[in-house]
Amino acid sequence: MSVYDIIKRWGIKNYRVVDEQGLKEITLGASILATGGGGDPEIGFLWALNVVKERKDIVLIDPRDFPDDALAAIAGCLGAPVVLTEKPPNGKEVLWCLESLKRYLGKEIQAIIPPEAGGVNTPVPMAVAGAVGIPVVDADGMGRAFPELQMTSFYTHGIMPSPTAAANEKGAVTVADAASAIMAERIIRNAAMAYGGISWIAGYPMTGRQLKEAAIFNSISKSWELGKAVYKCRKTHDDPIENIVKIVGGYKVFKGKIVDINREFGAEKTKGFSMGRLTLEGLEEYRGEKAFVDFQNEWLRLEISGKVKCLAPDLILILDSETGEPIRTDIVKYGYRGSIVVVPADEKMRTDLGIETFGPKYFGYDEDYTPVEKLV
Amino acid sequence: MAKDVRIGFDVGGTFTDGVMLRGKEVLAKAKALTTDDVTTGIINALDVLLRTKKAEVSEISLVSLGTTHTTNAIIERKNLNKVGIFRLGAPATTAIPPLTGWPEDLKAAIGGAENIFIVRGGKEYDGRDVVPLDEEAIRSACAKIKGKVDSIAITGVFSPMIPDQEERTAEIIREELGDIPITLSNHIASISLLERENSTILNASVITVMRRAVEALKKAAKERGIEAPLFIVQNDGTVMSADYAVNYPIFTVASGPAASVRGAVYLSGIDNGVVVDIGGTSTDVAYIVNGFPRESSITVTIGGVKTNIRCPDLMSIALGGGTIVKTKGNEVIAHGPESVGYNLVRLGKSFGGPIITTHDIAVARGILDKKLDIFDTDFAPHIDKVKALDKDLVEAAYKMIKNTLEVAVDQMKTVAGNVKAIFVGGGALVVPRENLEGISEVVMPPHFEVCGAIGTTIAEIGAYAEGVADLEIEDRDAAINKVIEKAKDEAEKAGAIRDTVEVLDVEEIPFAYMPGKREKIRIRVKGKIFE
Repeated sequence: MSVYDIIKRWGIKNYRVVDEQGLKEITLGASILATGGGGDPEIGFLWALNVVKERKDIVLIDPRDFPDDALAAIAGCLGAPVVLTEKPPNGKEVLWCLESLKRYLGKEIQAIIPPEAGGVNTPVPMAVAGAVGIPVVDADGMGRAFPELQMTSFYTHGIMPSPTAAANEKGAVTVADAASAIMAERIIRNAAMAYGGISWIAGYPMTGRQLKEAAIFNSISKSWELGKAVYKCRKTHDDPIENIVKIVGGYKVFKGKIVDINREFGAEKTKGFSMGRLTLEGLEEYRGEKAFVDFQNEWLRLEISGKVKCLAPDLILILDSETGEPIRTDIVKYGYRGSIVVVPADEKMRTDLGIETFGPKYFGYDEDYTPVEKLV
Repeated sequence: MAKDVRIGFDVGGTFTDGVMLRGKEVLAKAKALTTDDVTTGIINALDVLLRTKKAEVSEISLVSLGTTHTTNAIIERKNLNKVGIFRLGAPATTAIPPLTGWPEDLKAAIGGAENIFIVRGGKEYDGRDVVPLDEEAIRSACAKIKGKVDSIAITGVFSPMIPDQEERTAEIIREELGDIPITLSNHIASISLLERENSTILNASVITVMRRAVEALKKAAKERGIEAPLFIVQNDGTVMSADYAVNYPIFTVASGPAASVRGAVYLSGIDNGVVVDIGGTSTDVAYIVNGFPRESSITVTIGGVKTNIRCPDLMSIALGGGTIVKTKGNEVIAHGPESVGYNLVRLGKSFGGPIITTHDIAVARGILDKKLDIFDTDFAPHIDKVKALDKDLVEAAYKMIKNTLEVAVDQMKTVAGNVKAIFVGGGALVVPRENLEGISEVVMPPHFEVCGAIGTTIAEIGAYAEGVADLEIEDRDAAINKVIEKAKDEAEKAGAIRDTVEVLDVEEIPFAYMPGKREKIRIRVKGKIFE
């Protein structure tokens, strides 16, 4: 049964098929929303591109149209971005995960939903869905990127990550099935270590009914719109930052040059994170001001001239001022010039459990979460 | 007689410049037309220099060049090697096979997809095998490509950290195919498999082009009685010996612009600012940071292929002496991008021709009022034709040219406020130099017209190396020192005197998302060729 038979059976008439240009735009847009994380977009993009070139259509459906009793799962990867960049997948890893999941559940997965908005975990689920021949739901579990399995609006709205399957390129599969979401995360992360740094995963099975309650809606469309706008700006030499701010409903709060990157190596040992702090000196209208950005794989906390301006889960984007290209925590270098844009997180990310799961305190900042709208 | 004369060449789109120096003294300058094969143009410039008799050939201690051989071959898809492509990484990596995303014509020019082999092998970040290297598969691949390929590119997963599988693969291929040029990815670039693989394949594709060029130049030098080592400028503005360069031609893709930045620094004494190199067809704008070209922070695309080689951050714009000013009546419609190139002396208004160019606007506006001694022809033998140009037209074109220049400089700037700009190149006199927005001062050092050629003779060897350390087990300083030694080895191999090698840059990159204290260390060094 083809993907078109599936959506026909569900009575879906409005859907979008993603072509090469669309993939490019979605991948760029998702990298922008990834708040400095999400990994190297090149891998996800090229993989998905090969799927499209094999004429396996990637079909995007609206979450509202996904039947209540149908089953969706996330697909993607979890682990060290540098390993992903150096050891790309063979493309079957996630398919093996889906097979295990099917055996474990005794049910078919009928659609794929990206776990996050990111340069890898947005195009990869799309590639997987295309390869399997099932639709992709235009939604995700964060509207941004976070590093851990339980850091999703799915979990904070009652969907457990278990079972989640994790595979490597040799067909080794681990199925985590734990009552605790944190334990599931630990199992999958340890599998990643055993696999050499990356786990390819599929899991978080959820019904359409659950998905509609928990997912961040239309985040792929938003990425698409963002990517399209930025590519257009590059052609017409318009200001990409201004356009990005408009689309995401955010605020441009700084423009500056990175003058220091202080990485805290100790934190990696105790927490398994890349932690540190960026210092930026202001340029143009921000001359004389200083910004500090704390990061733990993603940009998490922004302070400008002594005042806190943004805290996770609200989004901090650091973007190349001329190209709109996102600056990531794994590639940031001394001397980069960027504009900082802050964006309110989706309301589904701001529940009490949400703030507990991925708010400032979870990341070790001794501060209460205040919505970015009140800080800027 | 002292052996203290240096000769340098810079190949541009229109002209090939040559200089002869003793210490800081410029003895002679030459300009020859750049030829299709590039090499002939260099030899012609060499002959012009030698004919000046400013030095004996026995005094020449060094010949150095910034060249476009590699870039031209890749961009024009000409004379490229058929490449046997080996990736050591199955069962991982196969979702994205080699040459994914390459332009079709370039793919075809290097022999297409039939010479690709993804072999079982590769390393994990911690040194484990992904799977043991499949030596049999390499041998049977060799049987298939025997006689069909000119060179080999080998890329192994995590080879920048653990190169032994790549080295073993090269050994096997030599056993099977004999003496064939082989490029190992760990010698070319750092972590990021696909971009490193692209860089490696491109390198393998231009090895023959570079070998032929170096052989021809060595032969020409020998025939003229010159007994001096040949050096080639690499992308960061340092040089490498020609014998080393023949194996790493990809490191010369930005050779010319890098040389002109080094020359501009040397001639002007300015360590931080903007270098604007104006030629016959285009202008390169680069930024200097502490005397070296600023490195590009994004992936560098060469001939339509994404690579991760280190390159200067450059902006090339279609603005040169021969760039055509398009008009309708007395109205200026556009400036460029087309150029009359070296036909300026036939087609330009100043030379009695029909076409208005940047050169003619400069003459009309009075900013170009002298002949540079490297040019054969006077700057405006038909000055009457230029004087007849409509004043408003001249002013409009001048403004357009000025604006193009200002925008390019502004886009390259890393700081707000005004910067010093060094104007160099044979076309430096044809562009506006006064009241430029964003520029505090335009400096035109002596010999600006042969700046790139002078830059090639500064002769510092550059090299870099990478390693991975687990700081839970290893001492940080010891780990860094290990990589510094590796970088010094590389510099020495490229022709530097070990004792003069100094560290330019130490970079530490932790592996994110992983418990432990693993990090990547990257070291950049430079060293002198002479004490």
